[in-house]
Amino acid sequence: MRWRILALVAGAVLILLGALFISHVGPVTALSALLKGSLGTAPGLTESLRQTTPLLIAGVAVFLALRAGLFNIGAEGQLIVGALACTLVALRLPGVVGMVLGTLAAVVAGALWAWPAGAIKAYRGGHEVITTIMLNNVAVLLTGYLVAGPVRAPGGDTTTASIASRLPNLLKSGGFSVSLALPVAILAAVALAYWLRRTVTGYELRAAGANPTAALYAGVDPRRTAVRAMLASGAIAGFAGAVQVLAYEGRFYSGFSPGYGFDALGVALLAGESALALIPAAFLFGALAKGALSLQIEGVPKGITTVVLALLILIAAALRSRGVRKVA
Amino acid sequence: MPNVLVSQTLALSTPLLFAAMGGYASERSGVVNIGLEGLMLTAACAAAVAAPHYGPYAAVAIALAVTVLLSLLHWLATQVYRIDHVISGMAVNLLAAGGTNFVASLANAASSDVPHLPVVGYEGVALGLPFVVFLYVRATRGGLRLVATGADPDKARLAGLVPERVRLAALIATGLFAGLGGTMLVAYTEGFTNDMVAGRGYIALAALVLGGWRPLPTLVACLAFGLMSALRIQYAGGTVLGVSPPSEFWAALPYLATVVALAGLLGRGRVPAGLGKS
Repeated sequence: MRWRILALVAGAVLILLGALFISHVGPVTALSALLKGSLGTAPGLTESLRQTTPLLIAGVAVFLALRAGLFNIGAEGQLIVGALACTLVALRLPGVVGMVLGTLAAVVAGALWAWPAGAIKAYRGGHEVITTIMLNNVAVLLTGYLVAGPVRAPGGDTTTASIASRLPNLLKSGGFSVSLALPVAILAAVALAYWLRRTVTGYELRAAGANPTAALYAGVDPRRTAVRAMLASGAIAGFAGAVQVLAYEGRFYSGFSPGYGFDALGVALLAGESALALIPAAFLFGALAKGALSLQIEGVPKGITTVVLALLILIAAALRSRGVRKVA
Repeated sequence: MPNVLVSQTLALSTPLLFAAMGGYASERSGVVNIGLEGLMLTAACAAAVAAPHYGPYAAVAIALAVTVLLSLLHWLATQVYRIDHVISGMAVNLLAAGGTNFVASLANAASSDVPHLPVVGYEGVALGLPFVVFLYVRATRGGLRLVATGADPDKARLAGLVPERVRLAALIATGLFAGLGGTMLVAYTEGFTNDMVAGRGYIALAALVLGGWRPLPTLVACLAFGLMSALRIQYAGGTVLGVSPPSEFWAALPYLATVVALAGLLGRGRVPAGLGKS
C-alpha cells in the first residue's frame, strides 16, 4: 500500500513544480521567498502568528464538530455573526465589562447561527454541509446589510465605529509582537483535547460521532449529542470572531473574514485525530497565508498556497484511511 | 415583464440544472459530491483561458476535459485511496479555487476579449437533460446498475457489478455535466473572475437534495432557485406588497428557502442508501 501514498506525494510535487515552472520561478527561489516572508522577519512572523489565531480558534470549533461526525462548514458564518455581535456590545459598554459581555454575545450569536444546522441534521436528516453553507451566505448578506445601514459608523464606509478597549499584547519588542489572543487560542485547543479525552461528555461526543447506533445502545442519544456539538462548535466559532475584534480589528466591516472559517476546516482535517495537532496545523495555515503575499511579489499567484493546502489535506487523509476504517 | 421573468429564470437555472444532474450521477452511484462548486469553477476558468487561443468550440471541449480530470481525482481519492467523500470534495473545491486563481492571474483571463461561447441551445439541452436522465435510469441497463450501486454497493458486488467501475463512469458524467454548467457562466459574462461560481455548485446540490435525488423533482427545484434569482434582478430595490425589502433580502432568499425546505419534510428519507459507503 505504501506505493500508493508515494504516488500521491509524487503527483502533488509534480503539480507544484509544474505550477512554478509555468510562472517562471525556480523552486528554491519560491521556497525561500515563502519562508522568509512568513518566518524570516519580525513583521512577517508577527503577521503569521496573527493569522494563526483566528484559524486556531475556528479550527477548534470545526474539530469539535468533526469528532461528533459533523462537518461544520458554517464556521465562517458563525464567526462573522459573532464578531458583529461582539462589536455592537463593546461599542455600548466600554472597558473590561464590554469585552466580557461582547464575548458572551458573540458566543451566543455563533451558537444560534449553528443551531438550525444541528437540529436539521439530527431531526430531519438534512445534510449539515448544505445547511451550514446556506447559513454562511445568509450571514454574509445580513451582516453586510447591517454595516451598510443600521449600524454603520457616521461617515464610515460599510463599517461600524471602532471600540475603545482592546486585548493587550503578550509581548512586544521592536517589530515583533504577540497578542494575548494567541495563548488564549492555544489554551482553547488544549482545553478541547482534555475535554474530548478525559471527560464523560467528551467521550459521549466521540462515541456518537464514531458510531451513532452503538452510542444509542450505550445510552447516549446521538441526536441530542449532534445538536449540542453543533451548538458548541458555533459558540467557539463565534468566540473566534470576538477575539478577532477585541485583539486585532477593533471593529466590524464588510468583508471582515477573508475565509478563516473555511480555512479552519482545512486546519481541522490536517490535525486528524489529535486536538493538540490543531496548533501546528493552524500555524502552518497562518504562515502560508502570510507567505503567499511574498510569493506573489516573486511572480507566483497566491492561489498556489491554496493548492498546497488541498494537496496536504488529500495526503493526510489518505495516510489515515489506509485499509482500516476510520475510528474517531 | 412576465416574459423577461421567464427568460431570466431559464437562463439562471440552466447552470444549476447541469450541475445538479452532475451531482445526480455521482450521488446515485454512491459518491457524495460537494465538489460541484470546484468543478464548475474549473470549467469556467479553463474555457475563459482557452477561448482566445483556440476558439470557442475547442475551448468548451478543453474545459470539459479538464473538468472530467478533476472529477476523476475525486474518484481516485474516494475509491482507490478510500478518503472520506466530504473531505475529498472539500479538497477538490480548494484545488479548484487555488488552481483557477493561479492560472487566471498568469493568463490574465479577466480580459474581455474572451470570445462568445456557443451556448445557443444550452437552455433547451438543460431542460431536456433531467428527462433523458430519468429515462436512462428507468429503462437502461447502465442506469439500473448506477442506482443499484448507489443503493447498496455490497449487494451490487454480489450481483457481479464492480462499484468502483460504475462510479468511474458516473464521475466522468459528473465532470461533463458540471463542466457544461461552468462553461455557461463564462458565456454570459465574458471573462473569468475569482469565485465567479459564487455558491451555484452548492445550490445545485441543495436542489438535488430537495428533489429527493430524483431527476424531475430536481428540475423543479432548480427552476425554483432560478426564479428566486430572477426575482432578485427584477425587484431588488423596488416595492413589493407595500414593503421595500433591502436587496440583501432578495439575495438571501434562495439560501433561506433551502434551510426552511430542509427543516420541513422535503427531501427526507430518500437518500440513496449506500451514499458515502465504500
